[in-house]
Amino acid sequence: MFSSFRLSMTWLHTWFGLVLGYVLMACFFFGALSVFDREIDRWAVPQSHFEAQPMPSFDRLLDPVFRRMRAHPDDMEATARRVIGPLPERESLKPASFYAYTTHRDPVLDIGGEFGVANEPKDPADDHLHVHGWMTIDPRTGVEIPETSRKLGSDFFYPMHYSLHLHWMSLGYWIVGLAALVMLAALVSGVVMHRKIFRELFTFRPDKRTQRSALDLHNLTGVVALPFHFMFALSGLVIFAGIYLPVGDTLLKAQAEKHEKLEAARTGRPHDPAGVPAKMAPVDPMVAEAQRRWHERGMAGEVGYLFIDHVDDANATVSIYRAGTDRVALVGEGIHFKGTTGEVLHEDPPSSTASGINEFITGLHLQHFRHWLLRWFYFVGGMAGCACIATGFIFFVEKRKRQHAKDGSSGARWVDALAVTTVTGMIIATLAMLCANRLLPAELAGRDRWEESAFWLSWVLALIHAAWRTRPVLQARVAPAWADQVWAISGLALGAVILNAVTTGDALWQTIPDGYWPVAGIDLSLLATAALAVLVARRVRRAEVLSVSRAPADETPGPAPGFAAAETNRA
Amino acid sequence: MALARHSTPHIVSRVAASLLGGYAFTWGFASLGITAQLGVGVDYEDAYITVMLLAFLVFLAVFCWAIAAPRLSKVWAVLLGGGGAMTATAWWLTRSLA
Repeated sequence: MFSSFRLSMTWLHTWFGLVLGYVLMACFFFGALSVFDREIDRWAVPQSHFEAQPMPSFDRLLDPVFRRMRAHPDDMEATARRVIGPLPERESLKPASFYAYTTHRDPVLDIGGEFGVANEPKDPADDHLHVHGWMTIDPRTGVEIPETSRKLGSDFFYPMHYSLHLHWMSLGYWIVGLAALVMLAALVSGVVMHRKIFRELFTFRPDKRTQRSALDLHNLTGVVALPFHFMFALSGLVIFAGIYLPVGDTLLKAQAEKHEKLEAARTGRPHDPAGVPAKMAPVDPMVAEAQRRWHERGMAGEVGYLFIDHVDDANATVSIYRAGTDRVALVGEGIHFKGTTGEVLHEDPPSSTASGINEFITGLHLQHFRHWLLRWFYFVGGMAGCACIATGFIFFVEKRKRQHAKDGSSGARWVDALAVTTVTGMIIATLAMLCANRLLPAELAGRDRWEESAFWLSWVLALIHAAWRTRPVLQARVAPAWADQVWAISGLALGAVILNAVTTGDALWQTIPDGYWPVAGIDLSLLATAALAVLVARRVRRAEVLSVSRAPADETPGPAPGFAAAETNRA
Repeated sequence: MALARHSTPHIVSRVAASLLGGYAFTWGFASLGITAQLGVGVDYEDAYITVMLLAFLVFLAVFCWAIAAPRLSKVWAVLLGGGGAMTATAWWLTRSLA
């Protein structure tokens, strides 16, 4: 595109980085929060303030709950739109499959299943016609946790990380996928731009001009966490490869189906129901047998995922998967039983090389392992990514604002407004949601929707505020929007801690002596956020005041717009 | 600056080539990569996983190349032509495999 590869890569880095940076900010921030999604869940759902629980007994506890479970009204509605003719009554639907899923960090249990419907699909290729049901239960009692007590971590922040909650045509997944590709390209082009990579590791000059310190920090965070960021963007793409490159559903559909059938024949796990009703054998002895077999192989034996296919049919199977707490690779070592007799049909064989690599990088991304230090490293890595993107925005603005002020262009101002919205505005929205979670009465109908409204509404307010309070950038000054919003972060974070103490009684002076770290950890992180925000706000306000007194006299032209190359060479 | 030499249509075309052309090429790579392995007897799942592990690195490479390459017409030709040719070959292979 330009005279040299390096200049082309600089163009790519600057412009793709700017446009997709806003999306990447959300991916990194909510990804970092998702590292502690289960802890956020616990903070947000006071009914779950107890210890993490193992998979409960199926026969005594889960079976009756499953039998009570019905198809979810939301999915009834969604399925009704996909089929010809009216759906049968919700109460009359027969279960086709059941699942229960837990991790070593979950006090409550996720369960769900599919219910068969006989309707023909509108789209003949739509071969997965089931209505789904799901709920969260207290695994000690089987009591349902109401849906209005939303698990904010795993139910809202985590899907935000990979889908942006834009479900129409899977648009969110595609935007995030594009952002991940651009992240990879930004890392490659960043390395091409900077020839003194090693020196970047040790360079941070906080006392220089904002532009210089921002670039130092951008390089430092980018280089320090480079392998981490590369692996995460790449493994994120690989995890959703089936969405991004659906060759198995299109060009190779016949091959994919043939493979599924062969696999079913080879493993003895029937692909389809027999259509003959049959009574299920007790499941608990199957769990005991699975644990015995794992124990023989010297593996930790907690059940992570339990799946029953073709429920109440002669072809019923029960699959029991291990919780992967003791290794990085996400592999369940599944053991599969005949549902009507309890005999072992098949054990998952050791992975092939390709599957092994895939399981390793998937596990690396999804971190089901039990290792708290590593978990914190993930969080810090994610936050380093946020810092890298945020300082990228700041550098972009600082570099251009004087020139734009002279030319009467408002480009730098709008970039700054969007940067404020996505950096501090997003944190405000998150904290507003946590505060709403503690303020809204437990019995309020549609409580979960109100929480969501608090999130989006406060983000829109942050956008409006950012658009208004970045006006001084037109005169090449520092936007007051930054310090304003950082102060707001500080207040909201402190507010969330106080609200938790008042509304749940699980204040820090309770949770710390009790060693109830999931909730104490969130509170302590919120306090740290509040304290850090005060420091940042004061510093930014000083820079802002300085920029007001300096701006009219400061006639020295800034570097020419367009390229970071000249600047970065001097770094 | 060098940037000024490029017209808006050029930039739009360049970006479209890098993303849409890059996607078409990656699609071709993925479908041909899997079918070619099936042809030599590799298990479907292994073939699929191997290709998906590599596909996004291929996309990354052609994406960067599409931005850097001097001649835009060549970029479009290689990405669309290559992607189309690989997809067509994969389609032909699936028919002869079945």
